[in-house]
Amino acid sequence: MKKTGTRIGLVCGLMVTVFTFFAWRLIDLQVNRHDYYSRIAAEKHCIRIAIPARRGRILDRNGEELAVNIPVRTVTADGTRIHNAATLGAFAAPYLDMSVAELTSKLSTQRKYVVIRKEVSEEKTQAMIAAMDKAKLHGLYLEESSVRSYPNADMLCHVLGFVDHSRHGIDGIEKIFDKDLSGQDGFRMIEHDRKGREIVIYRGQEQLPQEGSDIRLTIDMGLQAIVEREVDATYKELHPKGVTAVIADPNTGEILALACRPNFDPNNFSDAKPDQMRNRAISDMYEPGSTFKIVVTAAAYNEGIVNDTTRIYCENGRFPYGGKVIKDHHGSGDLSIPEILMKSSNVGAAKISLRMGDQSYYDYVRRFGFGEKTGIPLQGEISGLVNPPHRWDVLTKTRMAFGQSVAVTPIQMVMAMSTIANGGKLMKPRLILSMGEGTAVEPAKPLREVVSQKTAKYISMALEKVVSNQGTAVLAKIDGYPVAGKTGTAQKIGTHGGYLEGRYIVSFAGFMPADAPKMTGLVIVDDAPIGSEANYGGLVAAPVFSRIGGKAARYFDMPPESPQMMAQSGNSGTNAVTTR
Amino acid sequence: MSENRRRTINTIEVNVLARWIVAFFFVALAGLFFVYLKNQQHAIGDHARSVEYALRQAEAKNETLKARITGLTSRGALQKRIDEGYLHLEPILDTAIARITPPLSAEHDGVLRTASRDPDSRFGAGAPQRTISR
Repeated sequence: MKKTGTRIGLVCGLMVTVFTFFAWRLIDLQVNRHDYYSRIAAEKHCIRIAIPARRGRILDRNGEELAVNIPVRTVTADGTRIHNAATLGAFAAPYLDMSVAELTSKLSTQRKYVVIRKEVSEEKTQAMIAAMDKAKLHGLYLEESSVRSYPNADMLCHVLGFVDHSRHGIDGIEKIFDKDLSGQDGFRMIEHDRKGREIVIYRGQEQLPQEGSDIRLTIDMGLQAIVEREVDATYKELHPKGVTAVIADPNTGEILALACRPNFDPNNFSDAKPDQMRNRAISDMYEPGSTFKIVVTAAAYNEGIVNDTTRIYCENGRFPYGGKVIKDHHGSGDLSIPEILMKSSNVGAAKISLRMGDQSYYDYVRRFGFGEKTGIPLQGEISGLVNPPHRWDVLTKTRMAFGQSVAVTPIQMVMAMSTIANGGKLMKPRLILSMGEGTAVEPAKPLREVVSQKTAKYISMALEKVVSNQGTAVLAKIDGYPVAGKTGTAQKIGTHGGYLEGRYIVSFAGFMPADAPKMTGLVIVDDAPIGSEANYGGLVAAPVFSRIGGKAARYFDMPPESPQMMAQSGNSGTNAVTTR
Repeated sequence: MSENRRRTINTIEVNVLARWIVAFFFVALAGLFFVYLKNQQHAIGDHARSVEYALRQAEAKNETLKARITGLTSRGALQKRIDEGYLHLEPILDTAIARITPPLSAEHDGVLRTASRDPDSRFGAGAPQRTISR
């Protein structure tokens, strides 16, 4: 009986010991080493998957898409789940446009994450996955991605810019507003089963992506297409070093069109040369030539130094000053201020500048926006070059009067001409109409009042005479619409200083309709190899402006001043699209 | 049966047994129900995953098609079509356009015109998207 009791005690003791050990082990695993094993389990089963944010689109002012996203997939592999790399490689290679050997070698790995191929189209990847499921093959996975596409190819390329392979803006609007366009990627913590499939009920922390904002530009693609066509035709016909055209709304400062040549296709930006990628409208400075005469005449009139009755003796086209001779193309005697602009007299402009004080003249040049960045939201804008009076020599003041010894950017010249067009207010150029849910980024506001409305009106009337049969820009005329503007012909400066013989930058800056301006435009043709006798702003750039202005007037359906004139010019018709 | 024999027989207490059986039955039922719910959760999860996947696919396909439409209707593509002769531009002569008065703005009378672009509406949110005659 005693023996039996001992035996029972022994068995019970053994069981207590065993279960105590199990209990201790359980506590050790579940409590003491909980964090350690949880981490290992999480590493094995939990992964953080990124939910990419959609990059915002870029639209023109009418909602036309200028930059969009095309969904693609990145194909990845988990080497630990691949049983037979050769079989999978042979199966998937045709879908991925890879050789079997190349794919097999990439799949022959024990790494858990290998990128096999990027930017594979949605159709191909879906076909591949469906075929793999059917053949019961595993190990290849898809990640969401997208590529940026510019449907209009090289049109507006200098404004839009482009993105790199990681979808980050490199140039243009894509670069400046990269943060707004990119949005914020989201993420989700998931657990997956042995086959790598997500176990939805164990879905962990999740943060939804913050989609990128759509950006609506002030650009009007209808007008942009007109400008591009004319700029392209000029570039192909004259073979200049470059052509630049900018159209703006003088009342709001909105940039309606901007085109430069040479240009590039942002869809294939890696093929472009630096010269093609340069936005000449903001990053090139040039001596403006006679277009700059609007500054000295407006300044002098605004200060009361000259008035409606003032006549300047223009020395019959040869004015010796400071040891040099200032020459006019056609010599004249006494000229009024509008006549000085109309005939583009260098002597007249120089003599007006001499009537002004140095500091006052310099202040007006700066108030027109020259020598400072306009603040247009594009990368690479330069401020041009305007020397302060203490750096001037005896000739500087007179030369600045007709656009020498000063360097400006095309965008500065457009805004200066807009100042005359809108009644004397310098506007900040605007390129962004709205961002996100249609809210305006910043309202149109004048930076400052440069000259009085009376002065602006006076100069505007004078510029209207420039575009007349007596003026230098008769070829800028547009049937039915009054045009005001000024031609510019400036010799190019060599890399070692001094002017280059027979090489010119010619331009025309103007606005229309002259009495109630709706658009200001600038056309610059840089170094066209056409001979000095024909290379003038009035002969080369003014006709381009005229063609752009004429088509723009039809596009915006501006009512013509004189319907009879329009009726006579019946060959310029509106085009309606018909399908054949 | 003698008294001694009756003493050696263990009596079965049916009440207690029945109580335990019922309790066990309910526990087992709860366990099975728990397993059933868990399976349902997994099945619904799988279904949700496949629906999400189909939705993503549909979205991606939609985006792809939209991008393709944008590409095919882009200005460059349309110009190419014109060059190829699929589209044709028919000029409307100025003499064929009757202008009685300068165009009114939409804000004036609330009418969005198709024949003439509203000069003010291009600055507003309600601007017409694209007219076919320019």
